[in-house]
Amino acid sequence: MIRSVIILNTSGVPRLTKFYSPIHQSAQAIVAKIYSLISIRSPGSCNFLEAPELDELLGREDANEKLRVVYRSYATLHFVFVVDSSESELGILDLIQVRTLAKVGFFVEALDRAFENVCELDLVFHFDEVHHILAEIIQGGLVLETNLDEIDSAIHQAASARKQSFASANPLTLGVGGMGPRSTGAQTPLGWLTGKLTGVGAR
Amino acid sequence: MATNMRGLTQFIADIRGARVRDLEEKRINKEMANIRKKFKDGNLDGYQKKKYVAKVLYTYILGYKVDVGHMEAVNLISSPKYSEKQIGYLAVTLLMHENSDFLRLVVNSIRKDLDENNEINNCLALHAIANVGGTEMAEALCEDVHRLLISPTSQSMVKKKAALTLLRLYRKHPDVIPAAEWALRIVAIMDDTDLGVVLCVTTLVMTLAQDHLDPYAVCYQKAVDRLHRLVVEHEYSATYAYYKVPSPWLQVKLLKLLQYYPPSDDPAIRSTLHQVLETIMNNSAEQTRNMQHNNAQRAVLFEAIGLAIHLDTNSPLVGTAAVLLARFISSKETNVRYLGLDTLAHLAARADSLEAIKTHQAHVILSLRDRDISVRRRALDLLYSMCDVDNSEIIVGELLQYLKVADYALREEMVLKIAVLTEKYASSYRWYVDTILELISAAGDHVGDEVWYRVVQIITNTEDLQAYAARVVFQRLKAPATHESLVKVGGYVLGEYGHLIANEDGHSPIEQLQVLHTKSQFCAAPTRALLLTTYIKWVNVFPEIKAQLINIFERYRHVLDSELQQRACEFYALASRPDDDELLQNVCEEIPPFPPRESALLSRLNKKHGATEDKRTWVHGGRDVNQDREVAKVKRDSTADKPINGATTTSTGASDVLASLQGLDLSGPSSTTGPAVSTTLTMLAKPTIAPHLAVGTNVDRWFEKLTYSDEGVLYEDVQIQVGIKSRYQGHIGQLAVYMGNKVSAPLTSFTTKVDVDDPEALSVTFAKMPATMVAPRSQSQQILHVECKKAFTTPPVITVSFLAGSHQTIALRLPVVLTKFIEPVILGASDFFERWKLIGGPPREAQGIFPVNLTSSGELDRERQQQVILGQKLSILPDVDPNPNNFVGAGVLHMSGDGKVGCLLRLEPNRDAKLCRITIRSTSEDVVGEVQRLIQKPLSVDAAS
Repeated sequence: MIRSVIILNTSGVPRLTKFYSPIHQSAQAIVAKIYSLISIRSPGSCNFLEAPELDELLGREDANEKLRVVYRSYATLHFVFVVDSSESELGILDLIQVRTLAKVGFFVEALDRAFENVCELDLVFHFDEVHHILAEIIQGGLVLETNLDEIDSAIHQAASARKQSFASANPLTLGVGGMGPRSTGAQTPLGWLTGKLTGVGAR
Repeated sequence: MATNMRGLTQFIADIRGARVRDLEEKRINKEMANIRKKFKDGNLDGYQKKKYVAKVLYTYILGYKVDVGHMEAVNLISSPKYSEKQIGYLAVTLLMHENSDFLRLVVNSIRKDLDENNEINNCLALHAIANVGGTEMAEALCEDVHRLLISPTSQSMVKKKAALTLLRLYRKHPDVIPAAEWALRIVAIMDDTDLGVVLCVTTLVMTLAQDHLDPYAVCYQKAVDRLHRLVVEHEYSATYAYYKVPSPWLQVKLLKLLQYYPPSDDPAIRSTLHQVLETIMNNSAEQTRNMQHNNAQRAVLFEAIGLAIHLDTNSPLVGTAAVLLARFISSKETNVRYLGLDTLAHLAARADSLEAIKTHQAHVILSLRDRDISVRRRALDLLYSMCDVDNSEIIVGELLQYLKVADYALREEMVLKIAVLTEKYASSYRWYVDTILELISAAGDHVGDEVWYRVVQIITNTEDLQAYAARVVFQRLKAPATHESLVKVGGYVLGEYGHLIANEDGHSPIEQLQVLHTKSQFCAAPTRALLLTTYIKWVNVFPEIKAQLINIFERYRHVLDSELQQRACEFYALASRPDDDELLQNVCEEIPPFPPRESALLSRLNKKHGATEDKRTWVHGGRDVNQDREVAKVKRDSTADKPINGATTTSTGASDVLASLQGLDLSGPSSTTGPAVSTTLTMLAKPTIAPHLAVGTNVDRWFEKLTYSDEGVLYEDVQIQVGIKSRYQGHIGQLAVYMGNKVSAPLTSFTTKVDVDDPEALSVTFAKMPATMVAPRSQSQQILHVECKKAFTTPPVITVSFLAGSHQTIALRLPVVLTKFIEPVILGASDFFERWKLIGGPPREAQGIFPVNLTSSGELDRERQQQVILGQKLSILPDVDPNPNNFVGAGVLHMSGDGKVGCLLRLEPNRDAKLCRITIRSTSEDVVGEVQRLIQKPLSVDAAS
């Protein structure tokens, strides 16, 4: 079973944390621990790491369980899965397979499809969306679907349902075409993002 | 969507803009205060609630503790708007955990969403249960989830989620889910056309089958079939190919599932599986440059090797696997090295012979120095598993050397493993003591108490060793810096056995005392207490240094530590008693051998990384360890209270060095292996839950007709027709079973299974794996091979199950009866009577009188009688019986186990009395009754015709 999915950036700030079993310590402590484990590893190292250190933090359902960390780094982000011994390491690695190394990555690819080109900021501003996407791939710690098209269509279905409910709630939303760039301090064209997400600029 | 909420976007941007953490916290606190106030004031509309809950969520994701928003999330769930509902559910899954009180409030909303006819809402609800579902939810909702899973109208998306949700509920509260009852229905979904659904259902089945092996046994066949279709026939939708590998995730799951079952006996399944594994291994021989492709392929390969090892460690497949693995452990890719070592450890843990692995020993030892700790760990595990008596000295030597430079994270485990190996595979006591002492000096702080307890135990129990141990310990103690554990061992050993070496040069009592006592000041109180005990022992055996010892006690009487002080006072008093006092002698009597007990080391090690029975099918360690596990499992399974061992006593005579060491070590579970294993066998042989036989007069009539004819209908209803054609020769038979689909929809998830009451007497096997679907208005054929080994009375039962709207199961008796294996013989009158007389009366004769029907014209139905007798494969011998109405027949029954048995028949119908007498004589008592019953049944008046 997958115990936890964590995305953190190269400076250790978590961008997504999802725990599939009750945790015994604060999420921050776990993220910090994981960061300390993987940040020191060189790029060529094994993507699998046994982590007895996490036992206390994550809590063990079964006294004999051995937790492993399967991770992959992608640009400024580390994608980290904490799994128990029942999961195939390579399988999980495939699951988070990353774009830089291949044409199609998996989890990242699903994010890519949803956001056209995933970057850290997307994860920041659309944290709820990221969780929804994750929910289409992993449910309750188990792999739900591995077919990108299926995942895509499920996400689209949800997105269109959401859009409909917006429309019924506020007919103006669709017509506005984005909120316009408000915050000048942000490093990204917020208008592009918001526009895309309110549905006008999107596919 | 979050960004539709301007306030939220602003909030996120603000936090991102915060340059230092203080500012970030300040912003968050401000926002939380605001939200708290808004929530308290109430009167928020859906949009506002959603916005605030989203802010709370964002704060939570950043890792802050949040304590508001739960109630609002609960409200949002029941909102009719999807966007609000979605945020509500997200909040529930993120903010709440399974024991949260708020969950009670959402159960009803969740049920409403489950019942709704809208799959998007179904999915949200299922996802929420799968994340936070606990005992209460399991009780309230498991029926609904199951309904969504099996309903033919559910979309794939819903089915997938329902399967995993059900799994979650089962894990949380297994009692509410009638897993055995639902077995066939759930397993049937493994034949779904959507591979996504198959993946999820397989995951579910994997867990359920672990606890209910028998009811889920059908899944074995399904899994093999699915693998065959994926791997060999390439039957899958293109979107499920991941870098040209057909759904590696599914393959891995299926291969894992198969490892939970004992290898199948069915030759058809075995050969199919063999073909699958072979293909997988061949596929991986060709390496491509694409790493993703290689990864996916290897993920499957490693699991396939695992399965091959599970099936049979001696098969050629495993040989191929070993070659592949050897290549992997020297691969350039770290991941591959890691997995290669891991799988090799699996092989080492199960294989009968370690020879193949030992050829790579040098390389494995090299891997201990890999630059990645993950690989080093695996190499350590593998060395631990592949160690045996022959290579223990090399491996332990290497490990000891490596220990000095190993990572701190690894050391403790290494120390335990070295200690266990040293003990288990010691070639001599001396080597054992040397190694352990070396270990204690090398690893120092990482040596747990268990290690030195164990040494002391073994030295105490082995008389030969005592003097040697004392000498070696003494030498080691002379080193300028010694670890405290060594001082402890030294204190104990020299105290007990120091006198054995006291006469040797340089080992005099006073020297012993000096060496030990100089260490004392660097030690903690418990160690010093132990040393005091050593001294009092010396007072007894070394009167020459009594003065010094008493002096030491005297000084210790004033230390602050109460324990030390007490000991010192007591010992002082004891030592100061007059010389002829016997008390001291009695107190310091030599320690008796320890009773045999399980090594604390092993239990510690197992506790450390151990035996996750339900997850792994093996643990690290040699083959015997795995066997012990099996035994232990059986012990736990069988409720019968078996006396746990105690049989092995240590012979301190120590004629056999190894035996006594091992006796100490494993507390001899070997003595219970025999009976325990046989329990496993009986447990496995126990028939699965008997399927309910289809009943009805027609069913009986069809069956009966087929007992004396070669072809015909066995069963028919509105959906399906089952027909039989058969051919027998000697003890071998072949049955073609025709499954006709009478409706205009395909029968999917078509499963057939044959149960034989007594596999010793009759074997029935499928010629090849049955197809899983019968197309509309068409027939599928399955060939069965039958072999009669001994006399049997119960016909085999074929269970047919399929999905046609709902799930249906039909169990039918197959018309395979004893008389089918008879071949007719022609005898002359004199031959016949000679044999008839030779056989004689009971018990080799069976006789019955039964009423018969007459034809419409009032005559005996000779034609039918003749048909039945010939159909039962007996010859009809004319002109033997003087009465022309009577029938006389003969035949030979062929059985591969019990050989040939002759059968003679006499049938005497009486028209006036409407009665008939049947007499069977046979050379075998076992056969005669059954043959008589079989022939009489269709002739008798109450025959179902």
